[in-house]
Formats: sequence, structure tokens, C-alpha cells
Amino acid sequence: MNFWFAVIRQTGRNLRQTWSSQLMTLLTVSLSVLIFAFFSLIYSNMIGAGDRLSDELSLIVYLDDEPGPAMQEQLRRKIQNFDDVEAIRFISREDAYQRFADQLGEDSDVLTDMPKDFLPASIEIIPLKSLRGYNQIKLFSEYLDKLPGTEKVQYGQEWIERFYHFIRLLTIVVTLSGALLILTATFMVAYTIRLTILGRQDELELLKLVGATNNYIQTPFLIEGILQGLMGSVTGLLALFVLFQWISIRFTGPGILNLFQFDFFSPGILIFIIFASISLCSLGSYTSIRQFLKI
Amino acid sequence: METQENLVHQEFPGNTMIEMIKVSRSYPPDIQALSNISFSVETGEMFFLIGRSGAGKTTLLKLICNMEMPSNGLIEVAGYNINSLKGKDLALLRQRIGVAYQDFKLLNDRTVAENIAIAMEVSYKKPRAIRQRVVDLLDQLQLNSKHDLLTGELSRGEQQRVALARSVANSPRLILVDEPTGNLDATTTEKVMELLTRQNKAGATIVIATHDASIYENSNNRIMELRDGVIHSLTRGNAQ
Ligand SMILES: Nc1ncnc2c1ncn2[C@@H]1O[C@H](COP(=O)(O)OP(=O)(O)O)[C@@H](O)[C@H]1O
Ligand SMILES: [Mg+2]
Repeated sequence: MNFWFAVIRQTGRNLRQTWSSQLMTLLTVSLSVLIFAFFSLIYSNMIGAGDRLSDELSLIVYLDDEPGPAMQEQLRRKIQNFDDVEAIRFISREDAYQRFADQLGEDSDVLTDMPKDFLPASIEIIPLKSLRGYNQIKLFSEYLDKLPGTEKVQYGQEWIERFYHFIRLLTIVVTLSGALLILTATFMVAYTIRLTILGRQDELELLKLVGATNNYIQTPFLIEGILQGLMGSVTGLLALFVLFQWISIRFTGPGILNLFQFDFFSPGILIFIIFASISLCSLGSYTSIRQFLKI
Repeated sequence: METQENLVHQEFPGNTMIEMIKVSRSYPPDIQALSNISFSVETGEMFFLIGRSGAGKTTLLKLICNMEMPSNGLIEVAGYNINSLKGKDLALLRQRIGVAYQDFKLLNDRTVAENIAIAMEVSYKKPRAIRQRVVDLLDQLQLNSKHDLLTGELSRGEQQRVALARSVANSPRLILVDEPTGNLDATTTEKVMELLTRQNKAGATIVIATHDASIYENSNNRIMELRDGVIHSLTRGNAQ
């Protein structure tokens, strides 16, 4: 028989004696992980969607008149006066007509009676990556609006505005829920182990008297914390995965989720969450050991 | 510096098991439980500590197993200054000392067998060896039928013997016994003394605190009498 056999046997005794509070703690840890991971998952997917969205972000300036080459050069200079841009493309009325016809495809014959210049000329501007903050885009569009010959600037204002607000709100929710849940889980683990220690004061006292080493006495409680962290996080993540599958199946077909291409956590992130949960629960049990196991 | 290995493996060589030099112990506010105690116990000796209730016997035993610290003086057990030992060294020394406490210190929600096993578990004895030893000890103390009872359900006399069984279970080199026969009838007392004598013959040093004259007067062991915390006399039993 060796140290680990004895430690595991002692851990088993602890768990058997306090299984109901152990179960409550496990539930708390799982729920904490579930809730926190749920928000993080939404958050990371939204950030991903935002990135993809801003890759396609462009501002379109509709012009009153078709600009001549000199005018084009002047406009180009004025636009670059505000900031460097990724690309500037001039779209003549004819180009616009052609594009529209291409988009219509087979139905393009509805256009046959229309004059080729019924669509306005425009400038398509793709801003630099660095100019992707919502406020900057807004300022840029206000600047473009004041250029001579501009009729209207379009970049999906309202939609982008909502999206950025949503992301900001989500950041707050994730941070707050994360902090709260981490505190709750750590506290619960510390509390359960404190309960075990207090309920077994006599035995721990006796163990010291018959010559049990500190490791012999402490390690089972540490293992208890590690088990809580491991099982709690795995249960929480499993529950989240089931929830995730359900949502994916439920919402297949055209819809917002398809647009965003909803992803589950990568294995690296999963391992990180489990590891973080184990660390926190060990920390909880360690503080209880330090505080209540006077050795 | 002694290493831990020395503590575990050596069979406590040397002639002196316990050495006390000018040891005192006082409790607040001003109770002088022991004052100026100097004596030594040889390795392999069976030593009796007698005196009225309150004389300081229990306090002396607690000092020897480092359950309490002396207010003054030096205590050596197996050559180690027991009060300077810490952590693992202290734990390993305690594994070699068996103590049957006056208040038993049994876990009342555990079975008799589990209570005895604890002393062997901490030094990682094999489960099979532990089971065998427990059965054997219960047999010697006429407690075979109590193996699976909770100690809380036993009579005081039975609890006393379980405490004794636990103190000798790990075959310690030093056994401290506090009033081992207080709640026992004559035949059971005899069984207990047989068990202790057997341990002693096997080489264990034994210190017995008692006020039961029947267990020491017919031996030729040394007897130290305490009165109000001081050594009153140190004599030898009057066996023929
Ligand atoms: N923890 C303690 N606090 C205060 N006084 C104590 C304590 N332990 C023992 N004493 C006192 O020390 C004296 C010796 O006690 P003890 O060693 O138990 O005697 P004995 O075992 O010979 O009956 C007694 O007067 C007792 O009241
Ligand atoms: Mg006493």
C-alpha cells in the first residue's frame, strides 16, 4: 500500500460522508461553467461575425452626375485627404446598369425598356482595416456627404450601429457574469471543503496524533477540489454542447445563424476552460485547507 | 542532522527511550501540573507511573508524545528532542509511538475495526495485513464479536480495550497507556496486561499510568509515583 492508495481511499470517505453538499457544489460549478461558456460562445461568434462583416464593409457614395476624368481625380484626392483607403472604385451609370442586369440574371429582360442611365453613378470606397471602428466610419461618411456632387452616402448605418451596441453590451455581460460565476464557484468549493473539515475535526485531530503526515491529511481535500473543478466543467461544457447542437438543428435553413456560421469552442479553448475551472476549484479548496486545517 | 530515514528505519537503538530533564508544565492561570521532573526510561522497559487523580500522570504522557509542550525543560524520545521535531519527522516518530489515551479518542461513528486500522493506515500497511492484525488483536482482547460495531455503541470497558488495541496495532517501539484498566473487571484486566506484556517481550518500551495497584505490585518493574506534579518516589515492584 502506498501514499496514493491511502489518499484515494480517504477522498472516497470524504465524498461518501458529504455527498449531498458535494452534489450541490458540483451543480453550482457546472452551472457557472455553463452560463459563462454560453455567453463566451455567443461573444466569440459575434466577434467572428463582426470581423467577417467588416471585411465586406464598404461605403457607397451616390453622385448627382457622372464625373469626368478630371472630376474623378479631384474626388479621389479629396477622399484620400480624409484618410488613406484600401480602394476607390468609380462606377458609371452604365456599369451600375450592367451590374444590376447581372444580378437579375434570367430576369434581366425586365430592364430592356429602361434607359441605360436610370441608375446613378457612384463611388465605392473600401476603408482601411484601421478605420473600422463604428465612430470612425460615421465620421468618414459625414465627410463624404459634404463632398461636391454627393447625393447620398450608404453603408448600412442602422444595422452596423445596432451590431456594435450589441457587441458592447455582450462584452459587459460576459465580463460581469464571468467574474460573478468565478467567485461563486470558488466560494462554493471552499465552503463544501470547509464543511467536510469541520465535520471531521475529531478524525483529523486523531490522524495527526497517530502520525499521519500533513500531505496524508491535506491531499484528499485538494483532490476533492480538483475533482469538483474537472467534473463541474466537463458537465457544464457537455450541457452547453447539447444546447448548441439543439440550436443548430433547430435553426438550420436561411436565417441569421447561417449568416454567422456559428462555431463551437475549439479543443484548445475547451481545455483552457477545464483547466481554469480546475485551478479555481483547487484554489478554493486550498484556502479552506489553509484556514481550517491547523497543521 | 538526523534524516527522516533514520527515524523510520532504525529500531530506536541506544539504551534510553525516554529522557526528561527538569521538565515543568503549567496551565493558566497558575496550575502547576508538573514541576522539575527528571527521570529516564530504558529501552525495552515496562515502567509504571502512579499517583492519585490530578497528580500529573496524564500530563506527563502527553508531554512524551508531544501532544503538549513543556513550559520548561528538555524531553528526548529515542534520542530526539521531541519538541524540536516538526512536520514529517514528527509524524514519522509518532507512527512509532502508540498511545492509549485516558479519554480513548475513538471515532464513535466508525466501526471497531476501522478505529484500530487507522493507526496502521497512516504508515501505509497493506490492507490484508491490517485486517489480519485487527482480527488478531480483537481476539486477544476478547472483542471478536465487536468487529463491525460502531465504537459509540460499546461499553466504556470495551471502548477502553479498542483504544488499547489501536495503540499497539502498528507494533510501535514505545507504547504509552493511560489508565488501561479503569473500567475493567479482573479477568479482562489480566487479558490487557497479557497483551502489554507480550508487546514488551517483543521489545517495545511501555509506560503505564495507573492507580490500579493490582497491575504493578506483583511485578519487578520500576514504579514512579507523582504527587501534586512532583516525583514522590521511584521504586521497584516487589515481585519475589
Ligand atoms: N488542559 C488543562 N488545563 C488546565 N489544567 C489542566 C489541564 N490538564 C490538566 N490540568 C491540571 O493538571 C493537573 C494534573 O492533571 P492530570 O495530568 O490529568 O492528572 P492525572 O492524570 O494524574 O489524574 C490537574 O490539577 C489538572 O486539573
Ligand atoms: Mg489522568
